[in-house]
Amino acid sequence: MSGWRALILVLLALAAPLLARPAAAHQATLAVLEFREMRPGMYIGRWTTLPKDGENRIELKMPAHCFLRLPELNCGDKGLVGQMTIANLGEDLSAAIIRVTSLDGETKSYTISAANPVVTVLGTGAPTLQTWLELARTYVNLGIDHILLGADHLLFVLGLIWIVKGGWRLFQTITAFTVGHSVSLAATAFGWIGVPEAPLNACIALSIVFVGVEIVKQQRGEIGLTARYPWVVAVSFGLVHGIGFASALAGLGLERRILPAALLFFNVGVEIGQILFVMLVLALIWAHRRLGAVIPSWGAELPAYAIGSVSMFWFLGRLVRVLAAA
Amino acid sequence: MNTRLRTAFLASLVLLTHSQIADAHIVSARLGDFYAGALHPLMTLQDVLIWAALGLLAGSISAASGRWLVLVFPLGLCAGLALAAHAGLGTPSPLIDAATILVLGLLLVAALRIPVALLCLIAFALGVMRGAVNAGELLPQTDRLLYAAGLASAGYVVITLVMALALSFRRPETAAVSSWRGIAVRAVGGWVAAIGLMMAGLSLAP
Amino acid sequence: MTCRKIMHSTATIALFTALSASPSLAHEQSGVGGGLASGLLHPLTGLDHLVAMVAVGIWGAQLGGAAIWVLPIVFPLVMAFGAVLGILHIGLPVPELVIALSGLILGLAVALRVRVPFAAAAGIIAIFAIFHGHAHGAELPGSANPLAYGCGFVVATGLLHACGITIGALARWPGGERIIQGVGAAIAALGGYFLVASLGVAA
Repeated sequence: MSGWRALILVLLALAAPLLARPAAAHQATLAVLEFREMRPGMYIGRWTTLPKDGENRIELKMPAHCFLRLPELNCGDKGLVGQMTIANLGEDLSAAIIRVTSLDGETKSYTISAANPVVTVLGTGAPTLQTWLELARTYVNLGIDHILLGADHLLFVLGLIWIVKGGWRLFQTITAFTVGHSVSLAATAFGWIGVPEAPLNACIALSIVFVGVEIVKQQRGEIGLTARYPWVVAVSFGLVHGIGFASALAGLGLERRILPAALLFFNVGVEIGQILFVMLVLALIWAHRRLGAVIPSWGAELPAYAIGSVSMFWFLGRLVRVLAAA
Repeated sequence: MNTRLRTAFLASLVLLTHSQIADAHIVSARLGDFYAGALHPLMTLQDVLIWAALGLLAGSISAASGRWLVLVFPLGLCAGLALAAHAGLGTPSPLIDAATILVLGLLLVAALRIPVALLCLIAFALGVMRGAVNAGELLPQTDRLLYAAGLASAGYVVITLVMALALSFRRPETAAVSSWRGIAVRAVGGWVAAIGLMMAGLSLAP
Repeated sequence: MTCRKIMHSTATIALFTALSASPSLAHEQSGVGGGLASGLLHPLTGLDHLVAMVAVGIWGAQLGGAAIWVLPIVFPLVMAFGAVLGILHIGLPVPELVIALSGLILGLAVALRVRVPFAAAAGIIAIFAIFHGHAHGAELPGSANPLAYGCGFVVATGLLHACGITIGALARWPGGERIIQGVGAAIAALGGYFLVASLGVAA
């Protein structure tokens, strides 16, 4: 069993800088540009969220028949139809959102990211296969990014793996976590429930503290709630984490029409990232056992306390933010 | 066919197919400096080759000597990165890279039982070397700490997994060096050494 | 047990996928895929090289004893030495002729089950290895990513060699010996054809 402990200690040591500043890692470098149609084919645009290093460095390309000189965009009779590109997405900007409000008041959002640098504006009419594919690519990538950059989510999953250990029960637990966060992600994205972000983040940190405590209990021979009913814990905390995932989608101002699909693809991306992480952890646990690379018995409780302290540190930090806002 | 062989084969297939898709993304923008540090060496063939050869070498000796590398190698990487970032070490010549690959290959071919202390020393030295090389990718705006954590994580994951796979395949505790498993490992060493030899020739070419 | 094995396999594959699904555009080594592919394919597309490599494996397995394990370990090194000669533009006499000859001689050795002392066999194979390596090595500096090309080329050669050893292992089954001799004869015939062709070119 101490193979697990060694693994987690090493993982924590390596990821410590990452854990210490999740805020920095999460800070999406996002820019938002809005176009509002004034006359048929004539738009007025402005940056509602400025790119970090200034709007002048963004190489925005509009369809060839359009004439762009911010704040004015003139597309003539054809209207805004065709391909929009940002050529130099890279170092400082990870994604840009272009929101277009047409004369009849309908707003559409297009996300341009490094993985998906070109979007096609279809104008009015039903979405085609091409639209769906682009949507899938964008949101699956977004989901993978979100889970892989979310150190708190990963740490919670790590704690679950540790308590449940492996095999069929682990599969059940991870599935339960997935069900939990999918439900609350959908509920939040559709606006059925709304939770302010700051207290929610504190709750997420608290869930990891809970898992840390459960690990210590387990090491002392007590059978905690997580060890007995892992899926109950997984579902209930999954609900909390899912609301957190939704915050990544919240700022995108998605069209109502494509929201279900975007949600589905985003969730698929989150699952892919989560499965990759679980696989990696299981492979490493196997490797540690095989190598006999374990920590001596005097350090056995170190990893659990490390998880506990890191998450407590997050919790206090986030609590301060909640209180400061109140 | 052995499960692990099959796994290795499948994995290399997956690797090959992915090399096509890979061009569509840009790491640094999407995944932050942690992933930049973790992915840069994995995208560099010299690093992959040297790390894998080192893991194979340690794993084919014994678990007892291999387990130290789990810590020593990532620490070496960090030390090299820090050294290069502060002292500004120049990137080593291709000849040194090639010689490293050649020597690692020859050590594998010889199937020597390298003592633990020497193995740790080799791993640390290699870590420092590769860490320094990877510092070349540091930009002024890169978060050094995150980059180092990513680099060390990649080193830890690769070396641990390769060592464990090599250990499971080679079974040094029970099988002799002259068993077919031992020969397979030494043959791979021959391949590695051959690559090193060719690279050395290339770097010497006018 | 099986379940655990499957889990390990999946875990490893997933890991590789994770590691490889990632970007290489932002990187100087964008030619890795191409270099690997061309290195892998180079020994496979030249039929004269291909049959000679397989023949070396079969003959090694036929000779048995030390040959079975010395060959796969040392052969790539000797071949790499030949490649270095090629990279440094150190010319060898009549390369096409020797390469064609290698197919003929090795094929005949397999077909006729020629048994020579290990040292003599090693010497013959070493000479051929240097010529084959020379031919491949001459292409190395021109490739987009020489290291990737080298990796692909060495791996392909090793796999061909392993193919030969596997064919050689057929001898354990009844009638296997016949098949091996047939393969040897076919290789010799191909070698003879290449020899005639290269002489024709020379003439």
